[in-house]
Amino acid sequence: MQKSEADAYFELSFSPNARLVSTVRRFVAAFYVQILADAEVTDRLAVATHELLENAVRYSSDGNTRVRIGVKREPGGCAVTIDTINRAAAGDLAGARTTLDEIASAQDPQRHYQVLMRRSITRTDGSGLGLGRVRAESGMSLSYEIDGDMIHVRARALFESGVEA
Amino acid sequence: MTTIDVPNLATDDLRSEAVPRGSDGVELRLVGSAETETMAALNRLLEALHTHVVGAGIREVTVDLRELEFMNSSYFKVFVSWVGRVEELPPEGQYKLRFLADRKKHWQERSLGALVCFATHLIRVES
Repeated sequence: MQKSEADAYFELSFSPNARLVSTVRRFVAAFYVQILADAEVTDRLAVATHELLENAVRYSSDGNTRVRIGVKREPGGCAVTIDTINRAAAGDLAGARTTLDEIASAQDPQRHYQVLMRRSITRTDGSGLGLGRVRAESGMSLSYEIDGDMIHVRARALFESGVEA
Repeated sequence: MTTIDVPNLATDDLRSEAVPRGSDGVELRLVGSAETETMAALNRLLEALHTHVVGAGIREVTVDLRELEFMNSSYFKVFVSWVGRVEELPPEGQYKLRFLADRKKHWQERSLGALVCFATHLIRVES
């Protein structure tokens, strides 16, 4: 893949386990560094990919998850999107909706992450920090669509010369 | 080297070592990658370390993450919970946490930066 080309993407459909999530993270880090050639941005994206994928794996109701990663040159830089698609139980879908709506409406992602950290201390089911980490640490916006029992989560950011635009 | 009696981690992915540091400090070193399903073991380690530190009146714990390649949010929560336990101590009993970070591991600056903001009076990071 040459840096001058417009689009690059890959898509995986798999039935992952925790170790496979780590393997995918390392693979996508190699993918990102080839395309973006910026170690810090690559690291941010690898973290976001890991957290999104781990989230999808944890809540997948049928053990299957699809992930699609795309990089597209746009005016102003490179737009990177990370999409995860999985089926989930009704209760988990409702929880995801609440979490993602809250993250999207937070005026200050860093401050909201601090709120999530405070809440996490008393949580017994998961950390509740993964998606907040994507927003606050990786600097990516989050959106979602729910169709029946299927949830599609998208993280997106525009990077200009390795700095989020 | 004398070690402290805590349940250290010794998996293929993640190892730990806790040793005295100076006359009133402790150093915890984590080596590997914190991303598989052993968060409960790390939590037990930090709970035991907290008990030891409080009982011995230790004023500072150094956490060396320079050889920690990655940490997922589940493990990060374990550290957040540890900070919460320190905050629950009376002010005169609260010990400091000093993290040693590797600048080349960019996630460390971001994640530890968030942890510092969480408890600025307790945590500092050196890299």
